[in-house]
Parts: sequence; structure tokens; C-alpha cells
Amino acid sequence: MRNLANRAHGLTLCAALAVTGLGSSSLLKADEIHTSLQDRGHTIGYVTTDLHWSVYQTPDLKADCPDGLNGNGPRETFKALFPQGGSVVNTELAREGLKVFPTDKPAQFPYIMAAGPTAIGLNLDGKVGPNDFVSPSGEQGINNALFRVIGCNAQYRAPDGQLQLFANKLIRGFNFDRIMIELTHVDSLVNDDDVEVTLYRGRDPLLLDATGEKVAPGGTQRIDVHYGKKLIQHLHGRIADGVLTTDPIDGEWPWAIYFDTPAVLHIRDMRLSLKLSPSSADGLIAGYTDVDSYYHWLTSWSTHHLAYGRLDPSEFYWALRKAADAYPDNNGAMTAISSAITVNMVQVFIEHPAGSSAEPLQRTADAAH
Amino acid sequence: MRPVVAMAGILLALGLASVGSAAEREAWAHVPMPPGFKVVPTELEGPVFADSHGKTLYKWPIASLRNGYAGDPKDKSACEDKVTTKTGGYMSPYPPGLDLPDLDKRKSCVAEWAPVLASDKAKPIGDWTVITRDDGTKQWAYDHHALYTSYLDHSPGDVLGGTQAYRSGGDTPAERVPVGPPPDVPPGFVVETTVRGRMLLTEKKRSVYLSDNDGPNKSHCDGDPCAQMWEPVVAPAAARPQGEWTIIKRSGGVQQWVFRKKPLYTYTRDQLDASLDGSEEPGWHNVYTQRAPTPPKPFSIQPTINGDVLADANGLTVYFYTCGDDSADQLSCDTLDSPQQYRLAICGGGEAGRCERLWRYVPAAAGAKGDNHVWTVVTVDPQTGHAAEARQPGALRVWAYRGRPVYTYAGDKQPGDYTGHALGEWQGRRNGFRAFWIRSELFSRS
Repeated sequence: MRNLANRAHGLTLCAALAVTGLGSSSLLKADEIHTSLQDRGHTIGYVTTDLHWSVYQTPDLKADCPDGLNGNGPRETFKALFPQGGSVVNTELAREGLKVFPTDKPAQFPYIMAAGPTAIGLNLDGKVGPNDFVSPSGEQGINNALFRVIGCNAQYRAPDGQLQLFANKLIRGFNFDRIMIELTHVDSLVNDDDVEVTLYRGRDPLLLDATGEKVAPGGTQRIDVHYGKKLIQHLHGRIADGVLTTDPIDGEWPWAIYFDTPAVLHIRDMRLSLKLSPSSADGLIAGYTDVDSYYHWLTSWSTHHLAYGRLDPSEFYWALRKAADAYPDNNGAMTAISSAITVNMVQVFIEHPAGSSAEPLQRTADAAH
Repeated sequence: MRPVVAMAGILLALGLASVGSAAEREAWAHVPMPPGFKVVPTELEGPVFADSHGKTLYKWPIASLRNGYAGDPKDKSACEDKVTTKTGGYMSPYPPGLDLPDLDKRKSCVAEWAPVLASDKAKPIGDWTVITRDDGTKQWAYDHHALYTSYLDHSPGDVLGGTQAYRSGGDTPAERVPVGPPPDVPPGFVVETTVRGRMLLTEKKRSVYLSDNDGPNKSHCDGDPCAQMWEPVVAPAAARPQGEWTIIKRSGGVQQWVFRKKPLYTYTRDQLDASLDGSEEPGWHNVYTQRAPTPPKPFSIQPTINGDVLADANGLTVYFYTCGDDSADQLSCDTLDSPQQYRLAICGGGEAGRCERLWRYVPAAAGAKGDNHVWTVVTVDPQTGHAAEARQPGALRVWAYRGRPVYTYAGDKQPGDYTGHALGEWQGRRNGFRAFWIRSELFSRS
């Protein structure tokens, strides 16, 4: 519920949360959280530490990929297409040109889509349809067509898929990817039917624990109100049984997966579903990802890197187009694909610019620079 | 469209505008040189060594590529007078042995990169030594790197063969880079080439700043909060003034370095290497030993979510194309006289018409011309991508950076878009397009 009392300062903080974030979160009871939130402005922030495209996988592949994993990557397709080699123009450059200008023509090589009834994700359309999945916890109507495209590609599979590993690792390494959420008007992290969620980009490195490997809660992040101004986004949501659920927006999520390659995902009807605690927020970012922005994101990896997981970009593009399931263009071709990203965040103190209030900043007016 | 930021405004934003004179040039340490060589101040790379004609000298340091090494090992030249015909397969996933394009016109490494030959009587001096090439001729080397001149350079001050402004590690070709004397800076400082200028850093890559509020050889940053945010760059007790560098004594006896009469500081809130964050504080500026030439009038600077990018008059992002082939020679394929098949593959999937529609040269106004070696006007045949005669029908007069045309991309719909960035092989580093970032530290290491 909205309660604007005690909102005098610009630093998003919650002293009790900081204490719990440093190691005693399980000791904090719900009513204590409620009290501390009231004392500290009804606000809490979290910063992204991990992002993975949601892939439901079984150890023996039987349920998700009964036909095995995709085997036709750039090396394999090149060898099949050009067994005698040839000119660099007609071979390598032709393939690289096709990567930049993929076509909707049918795949030249077999492409294995994920099968089975189970997928991680959210019910984006509120319906239960014949192509929908069931979540691992049994929820019906899960929309995650992207899982069909990526589920049987080694790049995306834990624990050692290259894209899963490195795309996630860089979340911690690059300030470009430093997305935070700030929850305001929060009375309780357990139940609150009216909270505001603002996305910001932070401008500081993450706080690591003594091992240097794990991100610790309790760090401080300044808001990037300069170049990150356009990334300030607002969602409205509610908390039920400790899970934050937001209404959808057409969102942008910056996710650079290579050095100096600042890619951004455009996600239609983007919403968050996060299990909250005083020290962490874990769950899903789900929505209909614009197909072109997804392909652009993926191909910001070089063909060399894509070859690690036997992912041929032009073949992948065909599969992506085939599985796309939302926002048809004038010709009826789908331009977006239902998808889910598994996200992990830790609590962080969000420092608003000097002189600004603790109220959420806007993209333009408040974030003047 | 959002209003674009004029160049003067952006230079202010980058902390460049009010610091010293644009004509200031970097001083260099006077090192021993063999007869016939000299140092030439250049606009982007700072002082470089040059031959008796003023042609810039380059080295070709061996580079670890994905599938092997290319370039010169120490005290040896790998640049041969033999036309290479096949790819080397240095950059996976493609195999070696593919036929290189335009073999009827292809030159040898030596034809493009002339070894700086030494006479039989040449004597080593300082860091200059003489190595023996495979054909028995002698070649000058500096710091164990064989030296060359580039066929792209024509007049003193040209450095069109290579740059240190935006090289980024193992995904780029094994590139040639200009060689010069060390900058005349005290121990504890380094100078790095950027597109903005030669940037002064501490040896740990921390940015160095100066304040408009300080007087000549006088710091006014003593009390809080200034002293909390800005730490003086301390000169050791044994430090002595040199050239443009002096030392002042602060209260408490601390010695502070002063460059061109301005006390130097680091910014306590800097989190990244070579940061520009401190220059966002009013009156504070990063320090450059010299500034790069300002882009000519039609250009502007545009903020994006990744930093500031060079933009055209409409605020649309400007790109440059860069290319190095996968041969043992690692010859450049991004110049007007090099094979255009590489560029055509990326800009149009091999179709010249699509290329023209998507990647638009930045036109130069009638009568416009560059006033430096870095920004020039070139005449291009858009059908072929090669240089054209001035009166050739259909030829375009366009702006070029370091002799290479710059572009806008039709995929960008509004200022701040950069959808063409990193299109091509290896994120555009080996064969493709890169946005012309003026400022982008979001990928810097902390």
C-alpha cells in the first residue's frame, strides 16, 4: 500500500535488510520486515547478478530432447556445403553474409526443437492453449516458445553451455549490464497489493564477498542518470506470499554478452515474477521478445563462439522465425516469441542523485543531466 | 528527432574544451636514433618515428589469434616478398586454404609494408638494432620489433597504416601500429591513444584530472568536500621538475605533480580504468597531452545508452568499417584500394545495391575539405567502393577518417540508435562495422 511517511532521504535503504543481507536473513520474521520497511521509507533495491535463458532440462535428454542435441553448427554446415573448400568469397564470406542477412527459407540441415510438455516460464496470455507448456511446479498455460528453439542446443544448457556460462558471467563484469529494480511503496515483502517497481542501471561494480566469487547483498549503486536515462522503466505490481508479480510493459533489457558489444533485448509485455527476501530476489523476466532483437543479441557472438555449441546462426534464425508466436506483422508473420529469463538479484542500496527525492526517477524530467 | 549536441557542447561535456590550446602537442623523450631518422609529431598517435622522407615507421607485433600466431616474432620479420594466395585459418571456425580475392591484383606483404632497410655498415644505437631478413638484407628494428613504412602514407604526419586508438585484443587481426619515442612524462604516468586525444593516466590506468578552479601552480582543492573527492597525484620526494612538469608543495608537506601549470588529481569515485566520470563534475577535466583533431562541422556527438557516439548532422550514429584478411600477411581490406568483397558481404550480403541502401556514406559539402591528416574528404565510386576520379559520373565526395569512409546505417531510426554496431565477423573487429564511439567506458574493467 502506498505510504509516503518517512521518505526524506535519497538513499534507498533498509537498515534491517542490510543486516539480514549480511548473513541473518532467515532470522528476520515477516512482521519485522514490515516494521523495518516502514521505518526506512517502504523501499528496497536489488541488483542483477545472474541471467540465464530459461531451459528445462533433464539429465538424460529423454523428456526434453529425445532426438538428442543439435549437431549442425558452423563448422559442420561449412564442411557439408564446401567439402572442397573454394574461394573465401563464395564460402566464408557467403556464410558470414548470411549471418547478417538471414532468410526465412527452410533450414538446410535438420534442426532439433525441444519436445515434451514441461517448460519454465509464465502464462503470458492468461490462457491455456494446445502449444502451451506446463511449468515444473504444475502450472498450466506456460508460454515459452523460445524454449523449443534453444532447448536442444548445447550453448544454452547447464552446466557447461558456453552461452549460458559467458553471457551470464559478463552480467557481473560490465557496467552496461548493471540493471537494478527498486520497489517503492512496499509495506511488506510477503503481501502487498500495490507496489511500484522502477528499473535503473547502476554505475558501480558489484560488491563481492570475501571469496571474490559471490555477490554479497548490502552494496551501494549509484543510478546511471546519464547514459542510463533511457533505461529507466516503471512497472506496477503486487506481492503475494513473498512473490512479486508485475503488470506487463513493453520493456528493454540491456544484456551485453561480449566486450564492447552493447546489445539490448526488446521484450513486449515484459513482466517480472520474483521471489523476494530481504537479501535477494529470484525468478523470471518473461514476455514476448522481439525476434530481430533476439537474433541481434545472439549474433553479437562471433561465429567462432557460436560454433562452440554447434549453433549455425542462419539455421537458428529459421527456427526462431518458425517458433515465433506473437505480434504478427501485416503479412501475418510473427515478430516476437514468448520467452523467459531466469534472473537472480541481491539486495543493494540504490543511491539517488544528490538533490533528488527518493521517489522513482522518470526517464526524462527527473533524470536531468 | 531529438536535438543533437553541437561539437563544442560535447567537447565541454567531455572535459576537453577549456583545457589549454588545441595546438598543444605532446613532448617526447629524446632517445638515441640512427642517422636518417627523425621524430614527427602526429595528430592522433602523438610523436612517431619517421624515415628521412617523414614516412611513419610501424611495427607488426606478433599476435595470438584463435588458431595460431601472426606478425613478427622479436628480432625477426615475417613479412615476405611473396604474394599469399590462401587464407591461413587463423580465425576459426573457417578452415585454412581458401582462395583469397583479387589475386591478379594482390600485392606481397613487402610491397605494402616496405621494410626499413639498413646498410651493411649500420650500427645499433640505443633501442635501435639491425636484424637480418631471410633474403640476407638488413632491416632496422626498434625495441626488437622490425620496422616498416606503409604504402598508405604519403606525406609526413600520415599514420594511415595503423592506429593504437581502438585496438582490442585477440579478435582483431595482427595489426601494424606506429612506433614512437616514449612520451616525456615522469615515472608513474602513462599516455594512451584514444579517439579524443592522447590521454594521461597513472601507471595503474587511473584517470588524471585538473580543475578550472586552480591557479597556475596553485591548488585550491584543500578543504571538504573537494579534498574528499579529489586526491592529489603525489610526486615522490626524489621527483624533480622536467619539461612541462613541475611540483608544488601542499599543506602538510605533500608534493603534488603539476602539468602545464595545472595541479593533477585522481577522482576518488572513479570505478573504471581510464574513466571520464570525473569530468562530469563542473570545472573538472581529464588531461590529455594533446587532443585529437575535432571532427569537421557536419558531425555532432550523440548520447546513447552506451555512451557518446559520433553522429551525422541529423544525429544518426556514424560508423567506420574495419577489415584485416585471414592471410599470413594479415593485410588490411578496409581501404579504398583493397578488395571490396569483404565489405560487400557484410554490408549487403554480397549485393552492392543493398549495401548502398543500408550503409550510406557521409557526404561532404561542396568545397568542404579536411584541415588535418585524420579527417579528409575522399571521392568514392559507390558501385565499387573504390576511389573514383573527381569527375567520374556518380562519384561521391565523402568524409573519411584515417583515409577510410565513414557511414550511417539505415537500420538506425533515431539519434541514439546504433543497430549497425558490431555487424560483421568478430563483432566487426575483423571484417565489419563499428560505431564511432567517442566515449564508452561501460565495458572498462574496474
